[in-house]
Amino acid sequence: MPLNFACRHRYPSGFDLDVAFDVDRRFTALFGPSGSGKTSILSMIAGFLRPNAGTIRLSERTLADTAADVWLPPEQRRVGIVCQDSLLFPHLTVEGNLRYGLRHRRRPRRAIEFSRVAEVLEIGPLLRRSARSLSGGERQRVALGRALLSSPEILLMDEPLASLDTPLRVKILAYLERVVAEWNLPTLYVTHAQAEVRRAAEWVVIIDKGRLVATGPPDEALSQPEPLAWAGSAAPINLLKLDSIESEAAHLTARLGEQRLFLPPGVGPASSPAFVQFSPKDVILSRQDVAGLSARNHLRGRVCKITVAGQARFVAIDVGQILWAELTLEAVDELDLQPGREVTCLIKAHSLSVVG
Amino acid sequence: MTVHERGLVGAMLFGPLTDEEWLALRLSLQVATCAACFCLPLAVAVGYLLSRASFVGKWLVEVLIDLPLVLPPVVTGYLLLVCFGPHGPIGALLAQWFGVKIAFTWLGAVLASAVVSFPLMVRAVRLTFQGIDPRLETAARSLGAGRLTAFFTVSLPLARRGLIVAWTLGFARSLGEFGATIMIAGNIEGKTRTIPLAIYSLANRPEGMEQSWRLVWLSILLACGALVASGLLERRRPHDAA
Repeated sequence: MPLNFACRHRYPSGFDLDVAFDVDRRFTALFGPSGSGKTSILSMIAGFLRPNAGTIRLSERTLADTAADVWLPPEQRRVGIVCQDSLLFPHLTVEGNLRYGLRHRRRPRRAIEFSRVAEVLEIGPLLRRSARSLSGGERQRVALGRALLSSPEILLMDEPLASLDTPLRVKILAYLERVVAEWNLPTLYVTHAQAEVRRAAEWVVIIDKGRLVATGPPDEALSQPEPLAWAGSAAPINLLKLDSIESEAAHLTARLGEQRLFLPPGVGPASSPAFVQFSPKDVILSRQDVAGLSARNHLRGRVCKITVAGQARFVAIDVGQILWAELTLEAVDELDLQPGREVTCLIKAHSLSVVG
Repeated sequence: MTVHERGLVGAMLFGPLTDEEWLALRLSLQVATCAACFCLPLAVAVGYLLSRASFVGKWLVEVLIDLPLVLPPVVTGYLLLVCFGPHGPIGALLAQWFGVKIAFTWLGAVLASAVVSFPLMVRAVRLTFQGIDPRLETAARSLGAGRLTAFFTVSLPLARRGLIVAWTLGFARSLGEFGATIMIAGNIEGKTRTIPLAIYSLANRPEGMEQSWRLVWLSILLACGALVASGLLERRRPHDAA
């Protein structure tokens, strides 16, 4: 098991962190609202924050064990970090930054090659540029490459996409997925953006107020009542993976298993895999399929779960993938919604936005 | 320097430098260079520590370092003489162990300049390191560099311009050092008589005021040179920003 984490730490401010989890899937997201302790956990794994008590093990090596007074310094941990501000060395070129990790790495179990990193991350044309002259997306690619070249045993990413705009995010995420696939590297990805978790993570560890809330596959773990109760970015979103996109006359349609989805006009076929995103507020549920409606999309599915979050009810519907609808308590009662019930989800084409 | 070269320097000041002037100029440059070079590594260590670390008694260290900045230089020189004089606790040890004499030698002038310019240099260094993101070093360490390596490969190169500015400041302050120098090093022609001391000596002689204006011009020239060099370096500071 690549990473075992179990630490307790109390800050002078009174904030108390007590979390234990394992990372054994390749791409694990550490998900939680701001101030929940995500970054503290990364600092402990990387060796910059010493917990009051606990153990951290990485591929059978003990990085920290407070009971035995073991505390490896950061440079001996073989942990690659990429954070929101890429922290490239401004006095070096892109190549100098990449080679920094290469030069200082310590007897790696397997060496990650310079040329391959440059190829996978498409950094070749940037090598001679100064680190200061790069755009946000380029900086993150170089930071990722630099971390890889130190041949780490785990990649820690602290909101690496937070300072980028959406199209760039999607692009960098695609690079990241490529990296994880190429080097089979365990990755712990810290974020409070649910879309990133749903899209990329195989496993998610959810924390709040310094405590573990849930772990599991993203669809399952994110449907627990606690994450749903968080306001804003943590309220559930719908992100459905599209199997294929076809252009039909003036509009686009997409396959979603056996079902078909009408996409808003004017959206060009994005890179694959493509996803469609929409709010649970935009979903209308109906017990029977109804005719004579302007809504283009009628997806058949089965209710699998109803979660209470304050005044709202989030209903999970299996339409091949999990889809969320936000309803009032009255609506849930009136439609007599229960797990197993067949329903039709009505969604306007214009509520959908395609993300590549 | 040959007589011709000395003539060239002097010609710019309307006539060749006299032996006395030449000795004073050479000694001033020698003392200021040594003082600035001696202080820089110490100033880097202390300035870095003050910019990054917090420890008990930090304020006391800050006060002690800044003290020569506000004390009358004569007082600083007096204290140095007490410590480093032939019968002073440190001076006696240095003489006994290494046979080194500080008081009333050019080394005394270096020590006086060093102590007086040190706080200025620490300030410049500290400001520079405060402008460099400490997380760059943590990034270097997670890439496998040890604490010292991270400092020497990341923070120090990024601070390069600030260090040059600190050196120039120390150098320029040393060129003007008078009060502390005259206390510990005395005013011995050819040995400890730097430009400010030479001007003072000349001005005390009858008709010395007329002779001393050439050294006054020389001082102004040197000070301007140092300020311009420092200003140029500070304006071109692309590295420090990020």
